[in-house]
Amino acid sequence: MTDLTPITALGAAAPRVETFGALQIEENAGLALASLALRKGGNTPAPFGLTLPDVASAVSNGEIGAFWTGRGQWMVEAAGKSETDFAALLKAEAPECIVTEQTDGFVAFEVVSTQGGAPIEALMSKLLNIDPKTFGAGQAVRTGLEHMTVFLIRRSDEKLAVIGMRTLAGSLWHALAVAARRLED
Amino acid sequence: MTRLTGGLIDRTKPLNFTFNGASYQGFEGDTLASALLANGVQLMGRSFKYHRPRGVFSAGSEEPNAIVELRSGARQEPNTRATVAELFEGLTANSQNHVGPLHRDLLAVNDMFAPFFAAGFYYKTFMWPRAFWEKIYEPLIRNAAGLGKLSMLPDPDDYDKGFLHCDLLVIGAGAAGLSAALTAGRAGANVILADEDFALGGRLTMESDPLDGEDAQVWVAKVKAELESLANVRIMPRTTVFGVYDHGIYGAVERVSDHLLTPGDKVRQTLWRITAKQTVLAAGATERHIPFADNDRPGIMLAGAMRAYVNRWAAAPVKADNDAIAIFTNGDDGHRTALDLIAKGAKVLGVIDSRADAKALGSYEVFAGATVTGTKGRLGLKEIEITRGGKSTWHSVGALGVAGGWNPNVHLTSHHRGRPVWDESLLAFVPGQGGPKGLIPAGAAAGKGGTATAMADGMRAAIAALSELGMTANEIALPDAVDASQAQAAFWHVPGKKRAWVDFQNDVTVKDVKLAHQENMTPVEHLKRWTTLGMATDQGKTSNISALAVMAELTQKSIPETGTTIFRPPYTGVSLSVLGGGDTGPLFRPSRLTPTHHWAEAQGAEFVEVGPWMRAQYFPKAGEKTWRETVDREVLAVRSGVGLCDVTTLGKVDVQGADAGEFLNRVYANMIGTLKVGMVRYGLMLREDGHLYDDGTCARMAEDHYVVTTTTANAGAVYRNMEFYHQCVWPELDVQLISTTDAWAQIAVAGPKSRELLTRLVDDFDLSNEAFPFMACSDLTICGGLRARLFRISFSGELAYEIAVPARYGHALMERLMEKGADLGATPYGTEALAVLRIEKGHAAGAELNGQTTAQMLGLGKMVSAKKDSVGAIMSRREGMGQDARRLVGLKPVDPTKQIMAGSHLFTEATAHTMETDQGWVTSSCYSPHVESYIALGYLENGDSRMGEIIVAANPLEGITLKAEVVSAHFVDPEGGRLRD
Repeated sequence: MTDLTPITALGAAAPRVETFGALQIEENAGLALASLALRKGGNTPAPFGLTLPDVASAVSNGEIGAFWTGRGQWMVEAAGKSETDFAALLKAEAPECIVTEQTDGFVAFEVVSTQGGAPIEALMSKLLNIDPKTFGAGQAVRTGLEHMTVFLIRRSDEKLAVIGMRTLAGSLWHALAVAARRLED
Repeated sequence: MTRLTGGLIDRTKPLNFTFNGASYQGFEGDTLASALLANGVQLMGRSFKYHRPRGVFSAGSEEPNAIVELRSGARQEPNTRATVAELFEGLTANSQNHVGPLHRDLLAVNDMFAPFFAAGFYYKTFMWPRAFWEKIYEPLIRNAAGLGKLSMLPDPDDYDKGFLHCDLLVIGAGAAGLSAALTAGRAGANVILADEDFALGGRLTMESDPLDGEDAQVWVAKVKAELESLANVRIMPRTTVFGVYDHGIYGAVERVSDHLLTPGDKVRQTLWRITAKQTVLAAGATERHIPFADNDRPGIMLAGAMRAYVNRWAAAPVKADNDAIAIFTNGDDGHRTALDLIAKGAKVLGVIDSRADAKALGSYEVFAGATVTGTKGRLGLKEIEITRGGKSTWHSVGALGVAGGWNPNVHLTSHHRGRPVWDESLLAFVPGQGGPKGLIPAGAAAGKGGTATAMADGMRAAIAALSELGMTANEIALPDAVDASQAQAAFWHVPGKKRAWVDFQNDVTVKDVKLAHQENMTPVEHLKRWTTLGMATDQGKTSNISALAVMAELTQKSIPETGTTIFRPPYTGVSLSVLGGGDTGPLFRPSRLTPTHHWAEAQGAEFVEVGPWMRAQYFPKAGEKTWRETVDREVLAVRSGVGLCDVTTLGKVDVQGADAGEFLNRVYANMIGTLKVGMVRYGLMLREDGHLYDDGTCARMAEDHYVVTTTTANAGAVYRNMEFYHQCVWPELDVQLISTTDAWAQIAVAGPKSRELLTRLVDDFDLSNEAFPFMACSDLTICGGLRARLFRISFSGELAYEIAVPARYGHALMERLMEKGADLGATPYGTEALAVLRIEKGHAAGAELNGQTTAQMLGLGKMVSAKKDSVGAIMSRREGMGQDARRLVGLKPVDPTKQIMAGSHLFTEATAHTMETDQGWVTSSCYSPHVESYIALGYLENGDSRMGEIIVAANPLEGITLKAEVVSAHFVDPEGGRLRD
């Protein structure tokens, strides 16, 4: 175990969490990510028993999930596993596939509503050129958010994960927080 | 007070406001214009060029005259139309474009010199002397021809943006828009109903005609309530849809809090990008006037606007209650105004109708076959001259309504080069074919302006729009309504010798149109630019067609033959603040922070923007007086001890697959596939045209796993290009790419003591030169088990490494390196020192790889492998490219204290400095504390064989010419021993 102490993408010791009316935004510093890509002509594996999802979709068994990122490509995520070598675990599950460690490439913000899907959709309308009506639970997409590239996962009606580039974490938080705060008015 | 009874104002909610410092009172529901009129104020501003006194002319966003500065302090906003400024408690407004008080404008003298200010006068008058234009003429003209003043203070308010999606966007909430929204809303479609007004109803709020035998507001309120109850309908008042863009995207500005004194916690405005599958344009119509002599006096306004003021705002358009009002019309619509005025108890002189057979529609006098041929009243209308059969009589009036017919608001239909077509029966342009796809004009915007017709047309349009989406909408029960008669004659202007205004805001008269004709500026595009007609902030909404008609008469052509006026976005002015999207200053665009950013901040680093990145530029220490002092110290620390620099910003692309080596052989100019596992190679990428594109290193981490690094600037572009080649050019290769730039914090550990420092961090890893030589790479663990990658590469020319750890550990790693290296002189260095170090070593960077240079020029021509094909390889050997004789050299000024500016051009001594004698240019330059002289890099003709020659570096922009010696580009350790030891 290393004696170095990590910091979060927002530069603090602990993940940031803030509530804005019906919305809570929390930095998910424990989320491990690894990309999975099929080799040319390779078969689609079922890592950790997951059925890898189709275009613009996400699946999850509660602890481990996956979302589609391209043809024959997925991002596999594991809650609370950022301190493990998750890429190695995934590679062991899918030895024929190409796996790249991505945990530190991204920052994940989990947006949770206490009042159903409407606040989530209101927030989306301020930030994302995505029709919330076509983006229900289980949908995932890569899109632009204030000139930044992000993955969106609608984990449920009330939960939206916004996964952006780690180095842009501060700007992404700013965008989310400002929009959420304005919805409070 | 000239307030009437009734109207859609809330008399229980009085609002106090000031205009030009005087206090007034209006009511909730008023606009600034209606409240001023109700207070008997007719004079609201001065005209643009002649400084003529002007009053309100319209009751909507087409207003050319009542342009004011709204609010004060930082919120002061010039060029605001009083007709759409919603009244609020504490509103302050000032008229603009006058020197001295509004009623005694000193610049009104311009009006006396009007003959000199005719169309095109700028182009004819201010020709000589040339130097006077910028310093004298232009400032004078700008001062005289004002458009209000900016506060010059930063905008204190917040602005927002957002995205909306719908099945049907309905633009305009008048008779047609409401019926369209209700039809589609009931059918279950997702509907957005937007209107620039704060009240729904459009002209229904301004006319007196009943619906279902009741006040039209009853129906409007019922529809509003039903639409509000439908979850699938979003009503957006105070929202102007200003433009149509590709793929069904509409730009709209919602004025969230423009109707409040200050926005408080709210944003001021929101820019909405609405993606609509179908759209109904129910934007209504704009009334036009009839130019006649001196038709611009306060008190003269559009007859439809006059109707709106009395019906909706209960404001008589006169200064005093007993002032008579006259109407000048070419059709039946003017008579409606007379009827409404009479119903409201106003004193009506009569209706002057250009038609000889005109009849009264009520108990008022009709001057049939008559025209208005003159007016009097310096600051407000006092008299009009009515001419009939050659006989003229003067009549005392306090206001005159002018009704010249209605122009459908076709603006948005022409945003995709849709051209309106002339409808002779309506005497108006109506939307033609070929406008934006999915946009269906309805109601008055389509030339179907009668109330009953408009409602039915809105319903029809909604049904048609939904049917395009495969949705079925049923007809709705529409209220009983009548279509008022729109009968009119083609009467466009009253001929005469005096000035008759066509475009009020830009002071363009019928005479100016005639002059344009005389000077052969007859095409409508030339007419517009020569006279500036339609080029004011109102975009000529009330003037374009009238001008076209006058020109048609002069050219003896029909109006459609003369030209068609089309419109560009925005429909009305949009503030730059809202277009900016909200964030300003450092938050204007996203910033990428390196993993050690917070650490560097704590050290007091100065930062520099490098694309989206914020990078530490240098780390000043107490007592250092200049940045150069700091940078020199950092450079020398690297050369003598060990320096630390965050190099995370360099792009990192993970390349894996059985064909990864082959793929890289094709994208890199040099051979990569032969690289041994555990080794790194410098690589060059070329553009398709053979020029240098990017350079970096490629590390082979495993048999089928490479990590490519790119320059910071090209990280995204190189990755994108690699994906393009992967997906589109060589899809048969088994290779996968993914960016890992952000995933790894990478720190350069450079200097003779770098090995010693790293030895203190690695877990059981042999760093000896034998075990881990120059250009080696490896996975390893450090600091008790942290996964890391180590690369022995050097940008500085010293013994150096780059160590990468998961990004969240970058901060801690930097702290640990500083701590463990304290006794070794570990020094953080920024991008400035990084640049000095690489210039001293003669390493290329962005300045040398500027898109015009080749591998040969860098002295790396042999790296473009002839044993394989790669992107750009063949093109790099084409005639002209291969023969380029310029080579990268070092330059040392003869006087070491003189800096050779980058960008200087190189010449042989004693030659003229011309394009023909140009021998190259300086790419990079710095002070080298190692050489103790300024040094530079540059490309010089045959530079590799001119060592020791004294040449001239000329910087003609600054008038500097320096002598410099041509030397090796490697100012430090040209043999490369240091980085290999």
